[in-house]
Amino acid sequence: MMQRPWFKAFIWFAATSFFFMASGVLISYLGPEPTEAQVMAYMKGMMAAMHNSLMGFSMSLEEDSVLKALISQTASVTIPLIFTGIGFGVLVRLRRGGLG
Amino acid sequence: MNIRFDFIMHWLWTIAFALLALSGLAMVGPRYGWLLSYDIASADFVHRVVAGIYVLLTFVSVAYEIVRAVRNDNKRSAWFIIGSSGYQLFTFITTLVFIITGAIIWVCMDSNMAATAFALYIHEKLTYIVIGSLIWHIFMKAHALLWPRKRVKDDKAL
Repeated sequence: MMQRPWFKAFIWFAATSFFFMASGVLISYLGPEPTEAQVMAYMKGMMAAMHNSLMGFSMSLEEDSVLKALISQTASVTIPLIFTGIGFGVLVRLRRGGLG
Repeated sequence: MNIRFDFIMHWLWTIAFALLALSGLAMVGPRYGWLLSYDIASADFVHRVVAGIYVLLTFVSVAYEIVRAVRNDNKRSAWFIIGSSGYQLFTFITTLVFIITGAIIWVCMDSNMAATAFALYIHEKLTYIVIGSLIWHIFMKAHALLWPRKRVKDDKAL
C-alpha cells in the first residue's frame, strides 16, 4: 500500500497540510495585530456559528417553549412504552426457555 | 491485499486530526480566522462532527489495546496511534487531554465560564505543541515521503 502512487500522493497531501498549519500558527502569532475588519469578520463568523452549529440548534430548542412542551409530552408516552417493550421482550424470552 | 488494522487506524486518525486542527485553528481568534476565510460557522460544524469521529477512533484504539493486553499479545504495532512508549504514549496522553478539555468546552460553554476558559487555554496551547510534534514526526518518518522508483507489485509490503 505504501508504495502505491495514489497513497504516496495522499501522504504528501497530509504532510503538507500539517506544514500549512504550523506555518499558519507562526504567521498568525508573529504577524501584525488584526485589523478592525478582520475582528468584525471573526465576530460575524462566531455569531453565524452560534446560529448554525449544533449548539445553536440546541439553543433554539431551549428557547422554543412549544417544542419543549411537545418533546416532554411525547417523551412521557414513549419512555414508558420503551420500558414496557423491554419488559415484554424479556418475558417472551423467559417463556421460551431462558435468556441464554 | 493485506492491510493491517494499525495501519488503517493511523491514517484515519491522521485525517481526523488534520481536519480538527485546521478547523480548530480558524476558531482560535481574529488572528487565525484567515486560515478558513473567517468561515467560523463551517469550522465549528466540522470541528464538532470530526470530534465525534476522533473520540470513536480513540475509543476503538483503547479497546483494541485492552484486548491485546488481555490476550498477552506483545507483538509491536508499529503504525498504531497509541502505545506504552515513545511517540505513541505522547499521542495517547495528548489525545486524552484533547478529548477531556474538548468535552469541558462543549458541555460547560453556557454554564461554567471559568472551566470553559481553562479548558480552552489547555486545548489551544496543546494544539500548538502537537502540531510542532507532528512536524518532528514527519521529519523522523520522512522516508515515507520518498516516491517509489518503480512500481512494486507486492501488496503485502506496507
